Amino acid sequence: MDNKFDNSKYNFTESSFKFVHGENRISDEKFTTKTSSFAKDSFRRFCKNKSSIVGAIVLGVLIIMSLIVPIFSAKSVSNVSADEAFLAPKLFAAGTGFWDGTKKYEKKINKDGSVSGVLYDFVNETPAGFYKPAVLNLVIDSEPTLIDTSSEYGQGGYVMFENVNFGDNESIVELNSDSPFSVSVVANYVLNVEFGAENGIRNEMLGEYRIYLKNDEKTLILKDWNSDYSAFSVDLSKTLENSGLSEISGVKLFFGLKNDNDCITYLLIKNCFITCDNEDENDLLSKISFGDASEMIRRKIDASGKVPEGYWKSTGRKGVYASEVYYCSFVYDTYEKVYGEREVTYTISEMRKFKADGLCDFDEKDIESTYKKLDDKCPIEEVFSVKYNPITGKLMDVRAAVPNYYKFGYTKMPKFILGTDASGIDLFTRMFTGLRTSLLLGVCTAAFCFLFGLIWGSVSGYFGGVVDLAMERFCDILGGVPWIVIMTLAILHFGNNFLTFFLALCLTGWMGTAARTRTQFYRFKGGEYVLASRTLGAGDARLIFKHILPNSLGTIITSSILMIVSTIYSESTLAYLNLGLQGVQSFGVLLANNQQYIQSYPYLIVYPSVIMALLMISFNLFGNGLRDALNPSLRGTED
Amino acid sequence: MLKYVFKRIFLAFVTTFIIISLSFICVKLLPLDKFLGKPEQRIAYYDEQVRLGYMSSSKYERQDATPFDFVTLSNGTVVYYYTVPVMQQYGVWIKNIVCHWDWGVSKTISPNVKATVIIGEQLLTSMRINIISVLFSVPIGILLGIWAALKKNTMIDHIISTLVMIFISLPSFILITFMMLLLCYKNNVLPTQWPNPTDPLKLKVLGYIIPVFCLSFGSICGYCRFVRAELCEVMESEYLLLARTKGLTRKQTIFRHALKNAMVPIFPSILAEFIGIMGGSMILENLYGIPGIGRLFIIALSAKDYNILFVDMAIFTTVSLLAGVVLDLSYGFIDPRIRMGAK
Repeated sequence: MDNKFDNSKYNFTESSFKFVHGENRISDEKFTTKTSSFAKDSFRRFCKNKSSIVGAIVLGVLIIMSLIVPIFSAKSVSNVSADEAFLAPKLFAAGTGFWDGTKKYEKKINKDGSVSGVLYDFVNETPAGFYKPAVLNLVIDSEPTLIDTSSEYGQGGYVMFENVNFGDNESIVELNSDSPFSVSVVANYVLNVEFGAENGIRNEMLGEYRIYLKNDEKTLILKDWNSDYSAFSVDLSKTLENSGLSEISGVKLFFGLKNDNDCITYLLIKNCFITCDNEDENDLLSKISFGDASEMIRRKIDASGKVPEGYWKSTGRKGVYASEVYYCSFVYDTYEKVYGEREVTYTISEMRKFKADGLCDFDEKDIESTYKKLDDKCPIEEVFSVKYNPITGKLMDVRAAVPNYYKFGYTKMPKFILGTDASGIDLFTRMFTGLRTSLLLGVCTAAFCFLFGLIWGSVSGYFGGVVDLAMERFCDILGGVPWIVIMTLAILHFGNNFLTFFLALCLTGWMGTAARTRTQFYRFKGGEYVLASRTLGAGDARLIFKHILPNSLGTIITSSILMIVSTIYSESTLAYLNLGLQGVQSFGVLLANNQQYIQSYPYLIVYPSVIMALLMISFNLFGNGLRDALNPSLRGTED
Repeated sequence: MLKYVFKRIFLAFVTTFIIISLSFICVKLLPLDKFLGKPEQRIAYYDEQVRLGYMSSSKYERQDATPFDFVTLSNGTVVYYYTVPVMQQYGVWIKNIVCHWDWGVSKTISPNVKATVIIGEQLLTSMRINIISVLFSVPIGILLGIWAALKKNTMIDHIISTLVMIFISLPSFILITFMMLLLCYKNNVLPTQWPNPTDPLKLKVLGYIIPVFCLSFGSICGYCRFVRAELCEVMESEYLLLARTKGLTRKQTIFRHALKNAMVPIFPSILAEFIGIMGGSMILENLYGIPGIGRLFIIALSAKDYNILFVDMAIFTTVSLLAGVVLDLSYGFIDPRIRMGAK
């Protein structure tokens, strides 16, 4: 086919043509489609990833909290107050049963059959060693538990009097009342003793015993060596009369116990009463007597050497057998214990000052009933009683109910939603104060490493060759030293303060960024668009900043963001190895310090761990999303 | 090829040497504490320092230097001890190691016992735990990864990926804390501490559970993610499509083509993992009271027992560098596409 254009056919002249644009200049026209910047585009991509959004929100909340909480917290985190230590987490009023600042105490039966729990103290009517007004929902065991050790709170049982010198034929041990008394025929003196007859406890057996009265000169046998463990009653006056005496003074009651050749012998005494018609005499005798074995064993010589009334001396071993104790289960309101109402005495002048300040109102003639609290700042809740000066008859001072929290500087009952730690500091405040320090350390380190690593990696990656080789070897050596060694050396040399941590973490951290940047540069510097740009005469700076860096920035920024989290992790690791930050509150140190309370106060380690876990997970989710969002090659792929 | 291998190993040793030397000099630059105790103990300690070449002793007070410490003997004579310059100490230290394999003796942990002996004992404990956890985590991690990849974008894949995401983010000490809280303190199933050598066998076996689990979680997740990513990539490749069009079943393509190729980058890291069993996890050993070399490092550091510290550092450094070398070399052996040392 002939493609030659045949002009004669159409007969065009010059005037047949005219310029389309005429005199108009042709320049670039604006896009009529909607434009989108890189940031906008990234944001749109980021929003498509649901898990990253969640991560970012959690992360944002944590960061905002760490900024806000230390500012608005009522108490400074440096105020150590031992009285307020270990308060349980509290959000709701006490007694709600959930998150109410109480601790539950229950009887627990261990694997080996032993029982652990809190004993009930019948004297003070409270669980042993607990502050009574703070005890809620008290349930005392209906059945007593028998224990063989003398307990402060034990009841009943038997005095177990033991002869441990077995194998020695002659050995006799004695148990005697320590305070001497007199017996006469005038009044009617009676001795009643009840024994226990449970044979075969452990490797022991009931031994032969005798009962006698003894003073410096005389011994009056009441019951000679025998093995009859039924209740024994004897009229002392009659025995005295039979032996031809009218009175015997300064005597002590003795129980003698013979040993056995084969095993340890013992004697169980349930109770022992000496009574008398004469009222005055009876008082002394009732002090010596005992109706409760546990109570008798509790009569101990105290540290100052003071002998209590009715003390019983023993040459053998004296203990208690089958004493009854009651375990109890209850809920302990730790806040009531620390901050509950106490009785405090105020002088009348102090009261008048409160009144003058307008904090409260009362009529001095009848303070108890007219007292009215007007302001929260007034510590006095209620007035119990007033005291007058015995000589002048004037009003002297007032006993009043004062909630204890005024002592700690609060005007109402405090609530620590995550409880307090060992130094009495609110865990919630402390946690976020620590988090702030850790985040600050992380951000500073990541920022430095990002800048330094970027420069190092760009130079190394862009220029390559000998420069790259030398820089790589340097990184190899520095990176080869275990980071823990570098950190340790830095801490040992310069102390564990914030600056040392920052420098040491930077020293080990920048190599990651550098290596990543170098790889990215190697990847992109051979690209056609770089070659094209170079052919057009672009210099190194333009190639680096305009062409290579924007492409690789996404990965590098992401890794730098993740570096914040790895810094926090490193800091915590060091704290766990006893090399933590000192002088400032940090999250790692908080975690490591609270580790020791894992058994007694698990909440102290659980909440920080949960926050740490949340932080780590949300940071990673956020980082993943960011990596995809900042990858320019993904632009438009999803549409 | 062989030349390249030797070159890599040689380079690793040079790096190790430089690192250990740097650590030695840095540690030696730390201010020294005077040894406190009875005169005999002090004499013994300082004489050991003299023997190791870290100090010099003199019967007379030297004019040109201030003594670091002096000991007055029972007969009234005074012995002065002077510190030796750090580089000189370094020379002696290197000489002792190279000529006699003498790493010095322990100062405080168990005095006058050879550092290498102490490390040797503790290394075994660490290795035992690590071997078990590697044997445990590698198969599970790979299987989970394969499962997730084959069920890509299904519920199973999402569950596995989410769990991997969570567990890979959790720091080891958080994991240990929660495991101890749940299993040791709440339910009393496991011992709260590493069992003593005298404890019954049952307790000893139970004592392995927490350390092994804690060490495994991280690497299970790592392998799972790695395998899933590799396998997914291979599954989308064209040669697999070709294999299917050729008439192979899905099963055949997965076993004959996909798995083999996906394992190429994974296998070297398994090898490196086996080298890594010589290292100890400091946090885990510290928290659970395991007498391994990780914990020893911390104890040596706080007790200022530097001879032990150096041996420990040497092990950690050598292990990590060796693992790197093995990783790189095994790529070349396994992947036919890589030719090592080729110009």
